[in-house]
Amino acid sequence: MHSFVFRANAVLTFGITVLAALCILASLSDSFHSSLPDINLQVLNVDVLQRLSNGNDEAKLTLHISADLRSVFTWNTKQLFVFVAAEYETQKNQLNQVSLWDLIVERKEDAKIDLRRRNKYGFVDQGSNLRGREFNLTMYWNVMPLTGGIFTGSKVLTGFRLPSEYTR
Amino acid sequence: MDWQGQKLSEQLMQYLLLGSALIAFLTGYIMSSYRMMLTIYLIGVVITFLFTVPDWSFFNRHPLEWSELKNPDMPSSRQLKLRQQQAAKKAAKPQPKR
Repeated sequence: MHSFVFRANAVLTFGITVLAALCILASLSDSFHSSLPDINLQVLNVDVLQRLSNGNDEAKLTLHISADLRSVFTWNTKQLFVFVAAEYETQKNQLNQVSLWDLIVERKEDAKIDLRRRNKYGFVDQGSNLRGREFNLTMYWNVMPLTGGIFTGSKVLTGFRLPSEYTR
Repeated sequence: MDWQGQKLSEQLMQYLLLGSALIAFLTGYIMSSYRMMLTIYLIGVVITFLFTVPDWSFFNRHPLEWSELKNPDMPSSRQLKLRQQQAAKKAAKPQPKR
């Protein structure tokens, strides 16, 4: 601590060490946070269930996506990546996941979602397994903190079924 | 800056930084604003820098006191060394040929 430069170096290096400790504390504080998101997903209508020219099945659904994810936000949350996936079981694969819709939520005020719309991404099966298929809709939300690792929450809604005949 | 001043400066630096970190974390957590935490901490670092890095007069309250010379007429070790070096130089010089 004998010279100006030495003291300046000491302040900056210790300052950065303490800053790192602050960031670690902030990311640890997230683990004491419990959230109660309110989520409801509905299939309002199966608009189309068709066989594509390449032999795959495609369904077009009108969804009602209602979710209140505001309680997921903490002071250390940068943004949420929310997506809804259709999940179903076929003879070949135990779990098939098709992403139907997604959204990036950057502000807490925007985390209340109430939408009625057609699925954003195609609900296409790699095969012809969609007729009469029972499926789940799962909402996943990836929480991206300002400091710390990404973690994911999800809610599964069960008991949806596609019609047993093609609509066209 | 004297020895006591250096010790004081280092301790002040550590306490000020840890203190501003504590205040920053609590304020940020309570107001749930990460930006607030970073701003308060940055202000703390600047204050710490201004307070402990320059050689302020309160770091110089304990000047070193040297003991008195026992024999003021005795040549100092530095002078003795100089004399030895000069003598060695003279001896190393080649003698002019006759």
